[in-house]
Amino acid sequence: MRAMILKEFRELRRDRRTVAMLVALPVVLLVVFGYAANFTIDSITTKAVGPGADQVAALAPDLFDVVATDPSATAADARAMVRDNEADVVVDTATTPPTAYVDGSSLFVAQTASAAFGRAGDAVHVEILFNPDLETSWVMVPALIGLILTFVGTIITSIGLVRERQTGTLEQLAVMPLRPADVIVGKIAPYFILASVDMALVTLLGVWIFHVPFEGNPLLLVLGGAVFLFVVLGIGVLISTASQTQGQAIQVALMTLLPQILLSGFIFPLQAMPAWIAAIGYCLPLTWFVQLSQGVMLRGAGLDSLWPAYVVLAVLATVVFTAAVLRFRRDLAPGRRAARAPHAPAHAQVRA
Amino acid sequence: MAEPLVDVREVSRRFGSFTAVHDVSLTVAPGEVVGLLGANGAGKTTLIRMLLGLLPPSSGTLHLFGAPPSRASRRRLGYVPQGLGLYDDLTVRENLAFVADAFGTPAAVPDDLAEVADALVGSIGLGRQRRLSFAAALAHEPALLVLDEPTSGVDPLARARLWDTVRDRAEAGVGVLVTTHYLQEAEQCDRLVLMSRGRAVAAGSEDDIVGATTAVAVRAERWQDAFTALDAAGVVVTLAGRDVRAVDADLGRVERVLAAAGVAARAQHVRATLEETMTALDRAAG
Repeated sequence: MRAMILKEFRELRRDRRTVAMLVALPVVLLVVFGYAANFTIDSITTKAVGPGADQVAALAPDLFDVVATDPSATAADARAMVRDNEADVVVDTATTPPTAYVDGSSLFVAQTASAAFGRAGDAVHVEILFNPDLETSWVMVPALIGLILTFVGTIITSIGLVRERQTGTLEQLAVMPLRPADVIVGKIAPYFILASVDMALVTLLGVWIFHVPFEGNPLLLVLGGAVFLFVVLGIGVLISTASQTQGQAIQVALMTLLPQILLSGFIFPLQAMPAWIAAIGYCLPLTWFVQLSQGVMLRGAGLDSLWPAYVVLAVLATVVFTAAVLRFRRDLAPGRRAARAPHAPAHAQVRA
Repeated sequence: MAEPLVDVREVSRRFGSFTAVHDVSLTVAPGEVVGLLGANGAGKTTLIRMLLGLLPPSSGTLHLFGAPPSRASRRRLGYVPQGLGLYDDLTVRENLAFVADAFGTPAAVPDDLAEVADALVGSIGLGRQRRLSFAAALAHEPALLVLDEPTSGVDPLARARLWDTVRDRAEAGVGVLVTTHYLQEAEQCDRLVLMSRGRAVAAGSEDDIVGATTAVAVRAERWQDAFTALDAAGVVVTLAGRDVRAVDADLGRVERVLAAAGVAARAQHVRATLEETMTALDRAAG
């Protein structure tokens, strides 16, 4: 038994990735996720409209951070502000009592706001938009679409590509008369198609089983999904180029998946996280896809309000996918540039 | 003489401070079977990888069909890697169909694989997998065949069949470059290139390479004592049956060592085998 334990420690010492997972990762997870794992909302982005807007701004409790007032705006404008994610709560003072429009697609924010308004009794009429019964599944299903795409794109793709390297068939592909682009597209296209089918399936099942509404334009979700897929497939390819075995690929893929699950606002609301943790969240593709899918499906939001998510995902897709293709291409055609070296030495030992 | 299919001139490949291949030159002509021999780590696979365009040389020139390795040259090249390069989760037929598609040639399952045409490659024996790897490499009728340890792990009968295929192709004008460490296979080659520690240390036919290299064959009743005495004296010794053989050794010195150890033995000069010559050349290269 002692021999086994010693052998195991010796192997572990040389497996830096596993050591990193065993030692560094728990520390990072504890610090980052300790701050991130918080359901308590301290501040709700709020706007006030109608004749008493400025009064609301002056008297609102600290929980409601009134970022703007517009005395001339109407009830329709107030709804549009919530739909376009300009604020989580918009208070319309044109009615008696004032009406608070609350964004039901931000589940925890909506629950916190509702509870606060409930404590005020009849002073405020609360109307929860887009998810009136505050159904958890309505908020989760659009986010789960992103999670499933991330899983297929990152883990399954990287495993598939590394298998090619591990079995030596990648080398065989490299000596066939295939262009690197043929190999790259040929390897990635099936995963792209499968992930697209998954996306359609999960969306339809979500609507059918959980009655999740689909208020927006389906093409916007398709477009967002396609751009997002390029990001996660790119991450999968990148992981495969840095991994020698499928085990290594899974390790690294999990390291990229975990922060996305916990910091994307999918489980813990970004509004409840410290700014520096939320900033990390905003660097992750799943964060933007969740905003996009919830916006399109639940709020019926359009490009005019969702464009930042598309832009960020497009930039990430360009950077990550280009890097991935270049690295993969390097693996396939390493000798291209230097197949003929410029300077030959003066003599040969044996001329066969 | 026809233009060589492979023309490697003074090629070196360095990895940091380590030189894996050092100033190696070799050619392969149409219809010629050239054997690349050497121990593990001699630089054979690195040289093959450079030929295939998988690794750029650090210096020297390397031509396939008169030009540096390219996508066009790969069309005329068949490669059987040591690891076979087959998809275990595809059937024999599907593997061949994939390769045929990549080369733009019609797919056909050879008669000797027809029985397992629809079996998953992972489920068939190593001999058949090797046969399939050969079939995949030969399907597009390449002008050059590069074989990296093609008979590794194969039983003697299957090995003989694979060599029959190689010789058939060579007679049809295909150039063959084959790496092997089975020295018995060397006699199947028209020409040999011996590599040791990254260098090509000898080239030519088996007779050319062995040349005047000799060994001292020692026959003794107590052969174990003879072996121990010579080994202790720093003589490179091998065993051939119960004969102790001292590679590239001086007969007088061997006799003196044995006499000093009190071992009664008869020693005589004999022609070295290819393996013994390789051992001697390896020592000289070191």
